Amino acid sequence: MPTDFFWIYDIPTARLALLSIGVFVAVYWLALIFIRPFLRPFVKNTRGANAIDGYILSCFCVFYGLLLGLVAVTAYQTVSEAGSNVTREAAALSALYEDVSRYPEPYGQNLRWLLRDYTRYVIKYAWPLQQRGIIPVEGTIRAEAFHDRLLDFEPQTPAQEILHAEALRQLNHFLECRRMRLFSVKSSLPASMWYVMLLGAFLTIALCWLFDMTFVAHLSLGGILAAYLGTMMYLIIDMNQPFRGDVSITAEAFEGLYARMNEE
Amino acid sequence: MTRADASPARRRGRVSRRRVLAQAAATLAAARSLAPALFVGCSLGIPPRARTVPVGLLHSQTGTMAISATSLRDMQLHAIERINAGGGILGCRLEPQAPDPRSRPALFVTRARQLLEGGVAALFGCWTSTSRKAVLPLCEEFQKLLFYAVQYEGNESSPYCVYGGSLPNQQVLPTIDWLLGPDGGLKKKIFLLGSDYIYPRTANFIAKKYLATRDARPAGELYLPLGHRDFSVAVQQILFSGADCVLNTVNGDSNLGLFQALADAKVDAAKLPVVSTSVAEDELRSLQPERVVGHFATGSYFQSLDTAANREWIAGFRDEFGRDRVTGDAMESGWCLVQLWKAAVEKAGSFDTLAVREALRDGIEIAGPGGLVRFDAATQNLTKYCRIGRIRSDRQFDIVHQSEAAIAPDPYPQIAFPGWHCDWTKGGITRGPEVSIDGDI
Repeated sequence: MPTDFFWIYDIPTARLALLSIGVFVAVYWLALIFIRPFLRPFVKNTRGANAIDGYILSCFCVFYGLLLGLVAVTAYQTVSEAGSNVTREAAALSALYEDVSRYPEPYGQNLRWLLRDYTRYVIKYAWPLQQRGIIPVEGTIRAEAFHDRLLDFEPQTPAQEILHAEALRQLNHFLECRRMRLFSVKSSLPASMWYVMLLGAFLTIALCWLFDMTFVAHLSLGGILAAYLGTMMYLIIDMNQPFRGDVSITAEAFEGLYARMNEE
Repeated sequence: MTRADASPARRRGRVSRRRVLAQAAATLAAARSLAPALFVGCSLGIPPRARTVPVGLLHSQTGTMAISATSLRDMQLHAIERINAGGGILGCRLEPQAPDPRSRPALFVTRARQLLEGGVAALFGCWTSTSRKAVLPLCEEFQKLLFYAVQYEGNESSPYCVYGGSLPNQQVLPTIDWLLGPDGGLKKKIFLLGSDYIYPRTANFIAKKYLATRDARPAGELYLPLGHRDFSVAVQQILFSGADCVLNTVNGDSNLGLFQALADAKVDAAKLPVVSTSVAEDELRSLQPERVVGHFATGSYFQSLDTAANREWIAGFRDEFGRDRVTGDAMESGWCLVQLWKAAVEKAGSFDTLAVREALRDGIEIAGPGGLVRFDAATQNLTKYCRIGRIRSDRQFDIVHQSEAAIAPDPYPQIAFPGWHCDWTKGGITRGPEVSIDGDI
């Protein structure tokens, strides 16, 4: 979705759904009233025009339905993957926290403190930024501060060497997951995909205008189709940005971890 | 075909303006009649966003000064979060921006420029005087205030800086008085050890001038680069000088190396007490307690200060940042500076720098965790207590000395800078003869 429309994610989910459906139905109805009378003469004099229109519409809907279905699945997978990355990052952070808890003092305390600081930043500052579609940058500073401090530690015993190696391995895993989360902040369908979907929706509606039937039947049958198109669009919009909107990935995994860190 | 021949079905299919308008009118009428039921109370429901004001926090989070500056960042973040929780300032939410200058003066300039170009209302930050002096010209160029929280050497005054840390006349000189007096053990040979940059050199320059007025001389003087870790030779030099105490102006994680070297040389506080100006509770987190117990630190605030305001303040910070977190001198100053700025903005009714500065100069005082803090309009510094603490095994301090009252700031002590004065209510700095600090060393 073009970035100009990001305000749409500030609308609560239920209202966004109603808005999407309402826009599609309104477009259909208004065009039915004002445009259809001018289109109808083109098909009016054609024998079996409704059948032809119906045949074209059903062919078109197969391709368009496939497109919408695939796009919806892709959007869902993006959200699901981003959610998994968040969970993996929190799990790696938790494991790292456990590892550094075994370090001798004062290293252990300082390292734990830096991880807590990182977690707090993610919850308090990074998440609200992600929800606005902004990639948070200050978490990198905190991760680097932890990395620097971890590298300051020089193991004195074989046990500490093993622990240190494990902590470094876990750190790399954590950094990888973190990077994945940041990548997914901006992940969304490309603008061209949106244009194709919107054009498809318009053509679906336009084909319906060409049917020859009573006004009320046209309003109701076409309205139902438009409403469902609106529902599909809402679904894709809602899942398009993993961290935006009411239904998005939350910082719950980090919040649970932070609460546990503070209990100790 | 004539009009009379047209069948009803054919007539029904004809495009007719009258039919279009009739259908449109019917639809609009239906919509209008249903509208109250459908749309009353409905809106897009987008929550209104409070206006935000960006605020720059310029503290090193990596590099040699990170050991000290990170906690100062946290305390100022805490202060900003508290302000936001209370409704912000003038109805605006503060938006902290905290890039990392990595303890490098050149990066301080780059980051400060980015923040100032980004439109921050004020800058809070810098630890070393080198970084402060690097950032101040930018603040003057952009006409923004820098709120500096750390003890510094004086010999400087900028109308675009609010100095929140202790000056030598509020920290170093009272500490020398204490060391030379009976409570400090009647010391006679004070060794001046510092990191090699502006603050230690200037503070020690003033200290030497002051010692001369007390008929004393330093046992020796030594400076090592900022970030230096190997103090073994320095410790031998101190021992060789016959010093009976050390006034330590070493900054950052170099202190780890200093106390390690003292421990390696089996020099404890009973044999050679070290009085540090830049070691607070936060720096003690990284030091082994057995290496530092019994040594001293001087500042205007210690966490162990037993007052209700201090206990409440510490609890608030720990609730947010963790129960094992500690507070220290610079953190207390950092907190007070944010509160001072808030009070000034509210008094001025604006975030404009000149209006805020006028409000400050008009007289503002706040109750800080370490006591009442008053802004000195003449010097743009704060009144500060001088406290000396002895390090305990739990990485806290027993306060062994406290000045009777808060000490007024003097950035140009006449013993060191004769003829120099500063009064921003009467035109600014009065210059005296040039003083060469390096030449004295």
